[in-house]
Amino acid sequence: MQIDFFQWLAGIPTWLYDIIMWLHGIIVWIFNGVWGIFVFVWAAVVGNFWFLFRAIIFPGLVFIVLGIIFAVWFTRKMWGRIQDRRGPTHIGKYGGFQLFADAIKLVSKETIIPDKAKRWMFRFLPCLLLVIVLLPFAFIPWSPSWFIADLSVSLVLIFAFLTAVPVIALLAGWVSGSKYSLIGGFRAANNQFAAEIPMIISSVGPTLLAGSLSLMGIAQAQSNVWFVVLLPINLATFMVSSIASVGTFPFDSPVADSEIIFGWRTEFSGIYFTMTYFAEFAEQMLYSAMMVALFLGGFHGLPFLPPAMNFIIKFLIVFFLYIVVTSSFYRLRPDQIVEYCWKYLLPLSILNVVLAMLAIVYLPGLAGLLMIGG
Amino acid sequence: MKDVLEEATEIWFGPQHVSAHGWAAKLTLVGDYIVECDPNAGYFHRSAEKCLEFRDFRQGALIMERLCMLEAFLAEYPYVSAVEKIAGIDVPDRAKIMRTIMMEASRIHSLQFWWGQFAAELGLFTMLLWPWVDREFFLDAFEELTGSRHAVSYNTPGGVKYDFTDKFLSKLDRAIQRLEERMPKFRDMLLRSPTFKVRTKGIGRFDANQGLRWGISGPNIRACGVPMDLRKDSPDENLTYDMADWEVPTYTNEDHPGESDAYDRMVQRFLEIETSVDIIRQLLPQVPEGEIYERKARGKVNRLPEGEAYGRVEGTRGVTSLYLRTMDKAQTPYRAKIRGPCFNSYYSLKHLVPGNKFADFIVIFGSLDPYPGWWDR
Repeated sequence: MQIDFFQWLAGIPTWLYDIIMWLHGIIVWIFNGVWGIFVFVWAAVVGNFWFLFRAIIFPGLVFIVLGIIFAVWFTRKMWGRIQDRRGPTHIGKYGGFQLFADAIKLVSKETIIPDKAKRWMFRFLPCLLLVIVLLPFAFIPWSPSWFIADLSVSLVLIFAFLTAVPVIALLAGWVSGSKYSLIGGFRAANNQFAAEIPMIISSVGPTLLAGSLSLMGIAQAQSNVWFVVLLPINLATFMVSSIASVGTFPFDSPVADSEIIFGWRTEFSGIYFTMTYFAEFAEQMLYSAMMVALFLGGFHGLPFLPPAMNFIIKFLIVFFLYIVVTSSFYRLRPDQIVEYCWKYLLPLSILNVVLAMLAIVYLPGLAGLLMIGG
Repeated sequence: MKDVLEEATEIWFGPQHVSAHGWAAKLTLVGDYIVECDPNAGYFHRSAEKCLEFRDFRQGALIMERLCMLEAFLAEYPYVSAVEKIAGIDVPDRAKIMRTIMMEASRIHSLQFWWGQFAAELGLFTMLLWPWVDREFFLDAFEELTGSRHAVSYNTPGGVKYDFTDKFLSKLDRAIQRLEERMPKFRDMLLRSPTFKVRTKGIGRFDANQGLRWGISGPNIRACGVPMDLRKDSPDENLTYDMADWEVPTYTNEDHPGESDAYDRMVQRFLEIETSVDIIRQLLPQVPEGEIYERKARGKVNRLPEGEAYGRVEGTRGVTSLYLRTMDKAQTPYRAKIRGPCFNSYYSLKHLVPGNKFADFIVIFGSLDPYPGWWDR
C-alpha cells in the first residue's frame, strides 16, 4: 500500500500534540504523587509533631547522643581530677570537643577485619549493640510529659533488651576469630550471669511499692516518699550489679586490658570500636537514669524547677557516683565477681524487700504516704 | 581416664600483648586454669654484652644504664665497680657517699614506678598515676643533677660526674617529703584496699627454700623473711652503706612464715622504700667536702691491665652483677657478662603459675617486679 504523503504530513501536529500531552500526563502524575506523599508526610508530621519531636530531639536520639558525648567528657574529666591529672584540655573549651576529634579520628581509620573473623557478623554486631542499648531510653520518664513511650511493662522490656547485650558480646568474641576475644566474650556472659539476678531482684522493691511495672508509674508513685528511704540497700545492690553488668571497673574482667588485651573488643577497630565504646557509656547512662526513676524519686524534687531538670540533676549525681566507684577499686577476678554477686548482693537485695514489707505493716501511716491501697 | 591436656588451649601472652612489653609466655589453659607456663626470653635482646666489647671503659657505663632505665644509677654501678677494681682506682669519699645517696633515690623511683605498674596490671588506673606523679619529683631532681631524667650517666670509673648543688638538694628533699606525705594514702590504696587483698593474698606463693633454689634475690626473697641483702652482707668499699644505721628490711607474714605471696611482696616494697628514705636522710648530712672525681683515674681508665673483676650491687629487683675480663693494655673489655636480677624471677613463673587462674597470671608476673631489660641483655 502506498503512503499518502500529504495525509501523513497533515497528521504531524496531532502526533506532536499527543506526545506533548503524554509527557504532560507523566509530569502531572509525578507531581500528584509527590504532592500526595508530601501531604501525607506533612499531615503525619504535624499531627504527630510532638511524638516525633520527643523521639528525635529532646528525650530521644539527639538528646541521648549529646548526653553520651557529655558523659564521655565528664567521665574523662572526673577521672583526670581523681587521678592527679587534667583530662582533655586542648580541643574546645575545657576539652569539650575532644570526643568529636576522637570520633573523627576513629571513623577515618582503616577497618581491619581478621582473616578468621566472620565478616558479616563482625560488621553487624556492633551496630546491633548500639541500637539495642539506645532503644530502652524510650521508656525513661524524664518528666510527666517528656517521654517517648510508656508501656505497662516497660521495666521488664528494658531488662529484656539489656539481656541481649552480653549475648552480643559473646557473639562478637566468637566471630572475631581470636582467642582473647573469645575469652572476653565468655567473661561478659559470666558477668551478666553474676549480676542480672541481683539487679532484677533489686528492682522488685520499687515495683511492689508502686504496684506497677511501668517506669513512669514507679516514678509517679514517689511523689510523697522516695523509695530510697525504704530501700537504701536495694539502691546500693542495684548500683553494684549494674556496674557489673556494664562491665566497667572494678568488674571490667570482660575487657581487662592487662589480662586479655581488650576482651571481646580486641579486634574491633575504627567505627566498630567507636560503636562499642559509645554503647558502654550509653549503658551506664541508662542504668543511672533507671536508678533515678526507680529509687530517687524520678522527676520529683525541687518544686520550683521543671520536672525534667530535677531528673537530670539527680541523673548527673548518680553518674558521678558511677565515676567515683569506677576509679577506686581493683579489678575482680571473674569467679570472684560471681561469688560476691551471688553470696552478698542477692541476699541483701531480698533482705531489703522483706524489711520494706515489714515497715509497711508495722509503721502506720506509711502505706498512706506511699499511696498503697488499704 | 581422659587426659586433661586433650582439651587444652595454647595461648601466647605476648609479645604483642599490652601487658607484655618485650616478653612472651606461652600458656596452656584448661578451662580457666593454667596448667603450663613457658616463659620466653629474647624479645628484648639488644646485644648489650657485645656492645660493651666495643666501647671503652668510660662509655661502657652508658650501655649498662640503658638496660634498665628505671634504676639507672644502680644499673651502671657494677660495670664502674669492676673497672675500678681492675684499674685500682681509689674513689674520693665525697663521691662514695654521693653514689650511695643517688642509688637509693634511684631505688625509690624504681619502686614507685612499680607500684603504678602493678596497680595498672590489677586494673586500677588511679593508682597507676598517683605514684607516677610523685615519681616526677625524683625525675626533676635527677634532671637538675645530671641534665637527664632517665639516662643519667652519673657514675664513672673514679667517681661521679656532677656535683650536688643546693637546688638539687632542695629538689631531692621536696621529692622525699612528698613521698612521705603520700605514703599513708598509698597504704590505704594498696595494702588496705579490700579488692587488692582479694586479688593478691595467696597468689603466687613460694617459700624461702624454693626462692633460693630458683636464684631469686632482692625484695622477692626478703619478703620470705630471708635477710639477704648485698648492702649488708658484702659491703662494697666504694659505697657507704655502713655510715647509716639501718636494718635489712624483711617481712614475715604470721599466717605463713617463710613464704611470700603477691601481697607480702607489696608490703616488702613499702619496707624497702622506708629503708631507702631512712638511708638517704642519714647520709645527706654526712656528705664531706672534697673532690668528686679521682684525677688519676683519667689516665688509668684509658688502658687497663690484664685482669678480671666482678662488680655487683643490690639492685631494686635483686643482685645485679657484672663479670669483666680485660687483656693487657686493653682499651675495651675482652668479655663482659651481665647477671641481671630478673632472669630468675621471670623463669620461676614456670613453677609459680601452673594451677592458677588465667586472670592471676599477670598478678604473679607483676608481683615479682620483673623488667625485661634484665633478662634480655
